[in-house]
Amino acid sequence: MGTVKRVAYYKGCLASLSAKELDSATQALAPRVGLELEELESVTCCGAGDIQEAEPDYSLHLNARILSYAAATGCDTLMTVCNVCTLNLRQANFQLIGDAELRARVNRNLISVGVPAYEHDVDVRHLLWELAEGEGWARLQGAAHKGLKGLKIAPFYGCQILRPSRILGFEDPDRPSSLERIIEACGGEAVDYPAKLKCCGFPIIQAREETALGELVQPIEQAIEAGADAMVTPCPLCHLSLDAWQSKLKATTGRDFALPILHLSQLIGVAAGLGESELKFKRHVVPVGPVLEKLDG
Amino acid sequence: MQVALKIWRANSSTGGRELCEYEVDAPEWATLLDVLDIIKDRHDGTLAYRKSCRMMICGSCGMRMDGAAVLACKTRMASIAESGHVPVISPMGNLPIVKDLVVDMEPFWAKFRAVKPYLQPGYTVPPANREHRISQKRMNAIHKESLCINCGCCVSECNAMESSPEFLGPQALAKAMRFVGDPRDGAKNERLEDVNGQHGIWECTRCYFCNERCPKGVDPRDAIAKLGAESIKEGIDRDMGAKHAKWFVHSAKTTGWLRETELVPKTQGIVESIKQARFALSLARVGKVPPPFPPHVAKDVRESRRLHELLHEQELGGFAGVVQGEAALAKLANGHVEGARDPYGPGSFPKPEGA
Amino acid sequence: MLVVGAGCAGMRAAIEAFDGGSDVALLSKLHPTRSHSGAAEGGINAALGNASEDAPDDHAFDTARGSDWLGDQDAIEILCAEAPGDVYQLENWGAVFSRTQDGRIAQRPFGAAGHPRTAYAADITGHVLLQVLYEQVIKRGIRVYDEYFAWKLVEDAGRCVGVIAWNLLHGGLEAISSRTTILATGGAGRLYVGTTNAYACTGDGMTLALRAGVALKDMEMMQFHPTTLAPTGVLITEGCRGEGAFLLNKDGERFLENYAPNAMELASRDVISRAEQTEIDEGRGIDGNVLLDLRHLGAEKILERLHGTRELSMVFAGIDPIYDPIPVRPGAHYHMGGVDTDVWGRTSLPGLYAAGEVACISVHGANRLGGNALMETITFGRRAGQDASDLALRTSDSPVPESALHDAETELKTLLDRTDGERPWKIRDELASTMHDNFGVFRREEQMEEQGTIVEGLRERYEKVVVEDKGDVFNNDLTQALELGFLLDLADCMVVAGLARKESRGAHARPDDYPDRDDENFLRHTVVEWKDGKPEIGWKPVTITKWQPAVRSY
Repeated sequence: MGTVKRVAYYKGCLASLSAKELDSATQALAPRVGLELEELESVTCCGAGDIQEAEPDYSLHLNARILSYAAATGCDTLMTVCNVCTLNLRQANFQLIGDAELRARVNRNLISVGVPAYEHDVDVRHLLWELAEGEGWARLQGAAHKGLKGLKIAPFYGCQILRPSRILGFEDPDRPSSLERIIEACGGEAVDYPAKLKCCGFPIIQAREETALGELVQPIEQAIEAGADAMVTPCPLCHLSLDAWQSKLKATTGRDFALPILHLSQLIGVAAGLGESELKFKRHVVPVGPVLEKLDG
Repeated sequence: MQVALKIWRANSSTGGRELCEYEVDAPEWATLLDVLDIIKDRHDGTLAYRKSCRMMICGSCGMRMDGAAVLACKTRMASIAESGHVPVISPMGNLPIVKDLVVDMEPFWAKFRAVKPYLQPGYTVPPANREHRISQKRMNAIHKESLCINCGCCVSECNAMESSPEFLGPQALAKAMRFVGDPRDGAKNERLEDVNGQHGIWECTRCYFCNERCPKGVDPRDAIAKLGAESIKEGIDRDMGAKHAKWFVHSAKTTGWLRETELVPKTQGIVESIKQARFALSLARVGKVPPPFPPHVAKDVRESRRLHELLHEQELGGFAGVVQGEAALAKLANGHVEGARDPYGPGSFPKPEGA
Repeated sequence: MLVVGAGCAGMRAAIEAFDGGSDVALLSKLHPTRSHSGAAEGGINAALGNASEDAPDDHAFDTARGSDWLGDQDAIEILCAEAPGDVYQLENWGAVFSRTQDGRIAQRPFGAAGHPRTAYAADITGHVLLQVLYEQVIKRGIRVYDEYFAWKLVEDAGRCVGVIAWNLLHGGLEAISSRTTILATGGAGRLYVGTTNAYACTGDGMTLALRAGVALKDMEMMQFHPTTLAPTGVLITEGCRGEGAFLLNKDGERFLENYAPNAMELASRDVISRAEQTEIDEGRGIDGNVLLDLRHLGAEKILERLHGTRELSMVFAGIDPIYDPIPVRPGAHYHMGGVDTDVWGRTSLPGLYAAGEVACISVHGANRLGGNALMETITFGRRAGQDASDLALRTSDSPVPESALHDAETELKTLLDRTDGERPWKIRDELASTMHDNFGVFRREEQMEEQGTIVEGLRERYEKVVVEDKGDVFNNDLTQALELGFLLDLADCMVVAGLARKESRGAHARPDDYPDRDDENFLRHTVVEWKDGKPEIGWKPVTITKWQPAVRSY
């Protein structure tokens, strides 16, 4: 089976609250894929795009605090399960590592409020990256024993796991393949469609709903047209708009879509034989039942 | 080398569109622009596209290659040709097509003009016939925004604009920031008001396509964030987007985790929340609307609150908070790793005398 | 009034004219911000005195000497005296200059300058100035005929009354009447195969003026910039050398020790280009290049001040200058010669003006100092704008005669109807490569004569050129064919002027037959006029005010 990798685990706001199912699935999945999660508790929201747009200095410090506490666990890797957290933490990380003066200032501030200084660098990686290559990939293949039996899954990446690519840097932002590899390793069939790499509209779904829905409809409509049974995404914010706001598309398009949306951990969890108590599909707005029935039937 | 391309041809007067394939012989150093020139000169003189400087500074040759906007003159073809890939060339998005790869740039320029892109002198007047005295550090706040060559690559890929064509867009907003951050400009608050409208900064969907596509490193998305930060700092925060952002700040310093349930009424107001009641119920039914009490509080949240107070004393508010990180991020963009190689090491051209 | 060309000179002129009360419009075959002024990199010269003690007189002397004494010193004195005020105005309008430690406009050393006086914005000075001028154009709401290709100047009753232009976006010829017209169309680097110039730099205004009976001055004076990338000629700024870069031959020697031992890499451009060409011709180059070594400047300085240069070098030469020297060679860059004007931009045709690179006042004489071109566009753009505006306000309307438009349409129809003939690219490429071979850095009698014959042959072939695109919408197949016509006429003029100047001066180097400067016989401008379809040579004296020609060495 190989050695277990211990990682600092930052779940972010949504996985803590409205997307509890993501945390539940991730925690249940972790041991199956050789990950030992050291959950960070003295942390806050990473700020999403919002604190960056309101009080960017505060955003930098909040992320520095998370990085610092992650480093304090002694782990080399800080693992995230959300695109936005990944971008924010990685960006803060690059800023601190790349500018000694800035890091010194931020550390002075952290220390003065009782937070340890961020000295030892950690690497911020999304669960997606952990499992899409190398050892994680090998373990994934071993874990996905139940398989997806050729289920057609539409990958939806979500902007901030790909762009800006010099901060994320895991794969070619225009030709990524991590989700497809994982889908296939799980025994599913990855379905392609044009809006796979575009925006779901979540950041403006409240402030500019109409504009956001104009974006949201594209991946949903196209994935269904391409024959997808379900969609998977590595970002709980995308998940929220794709799943919870899907019903709003009826008013703008006149169509009932009903495309089940799975978190990445859930998709792998299904392939690994995890059950409802861990995957918590009941928390989804668009029922996942039909897809599970297809699998079992 | 042999280079093959597929080009979407179109004529706005006839309305027709067709995908045409070309294969030409081009020098190894050829760019996409060079290949288009060869096609136009020797195969089909009717192929229309803009060009001028061929050195990434005039901004004429913006077009899409495989759906992603690039400058044709910056795109070397050797590795593409070698791999056997046949790219599809099409005009930039979000702008009306005139002919082939030529788009009507007037909507682009109209939005540019809409942000009043010229200095409106302020109260500080330099001594007669001399320059304003400003530190390089202060001017660096708008360094990236001043790099913009108006090529349109960002606008081409803007997801928000695709859904909402009246969105001001990354280029116009980056230009607005160029003036908001310029210490010589006296109209900062009016400018901020201008970009806080229905189709201003709060319509940006944060897809980061603009940052990704910009051939000059302007990072329009970051400019938009700077405008947001400065707006809120100046108390221009009536927009739902601003309220949404401020609630995140409030959450972080009180409970640490985002206070999701209260986010809706705080952003959209009570009336709108009531209108959304049915929608809210569909979420509540599956447990996605956790009761706000007791609040979900993160451990040691007082550290976060103290940080917030401390930073307010340090006054690095507004866009300065974004600018402070730019030096480090520029290193990523430069692709230069300090000490990666000795410029005079073995295999290098010898060090000249006096170097 | 009309300004043809919307680069720095054109826009500055239009702004001045607007502020003077004229109803002025800009007309350009490119959108204004696409103009080639934007490609200027290193900086703009003015005796601001921010980097050292400096004075307009010193600037003027450097310019006069740099011009190899062919520059008209009254024009030079005006430029240098008015430059500081013009630069301050640009800054007051919002130009994003780099700053000194005490917050003033930063100035760097540049070629052949006694003091560091080149005000800069990293290495994108042209871009910054183009942007600020366009902003000021928008502020005033100045009308722009965007993507209109000026094809002919119209003369009526001894005056220039407007232009006939092809509307690129929609098609069709249009006559635009104007009481005064300023040509600000830039240079003609596209005459050469290795050039720093954009595709758009085809000498349009020069030929327009020539065909309208106006003389062109010093046409043989084409500056070859020492540091351009092979094979296309992309510009690597002189600013590199201003920051301390070295030029090396294949043996790693700073060869300028043998050609310009005092100024070394900051000698004047013609001296350096000749030095490079000699090294290359004598086998001490590498693949036809010499090396520009920036490594000792260090990564920090390169990334901060020469960021654009590094990017160009990486994209077009595959070289990161932090680690490797950049292979460079001379490339056609700037035309000192051009439309004969006085110090207000007036030409011999009433109502017609010229400013910027298209003009030859002459400020630059036989060689231009780096940083002086941008300065000329602003100072003389402003002056031409002012004078043309004053004249326009005192002049009555005189529309373009219908016959002029009709004739143009007939001529165009003939061109467009032609289906049998040669595509322009062959003629264009042959022109560019033969000019490079026969009328480059070094000129030789037999080669120049041969070039004259070649150009004749090309012009004959041009009579049968075929435009494949017969449509109206965005037909730049047509405009590119018309541009070739402009280039051919200019090539003719250049060769004639080159043969006539039997000396070496500045950029005109005749090492075999006339290796020295001959002030006694040739301290004068060549003047070319178009008579019966051919260039006819004449001469014009140089204005000397303060400085007598002396030995010019660096």
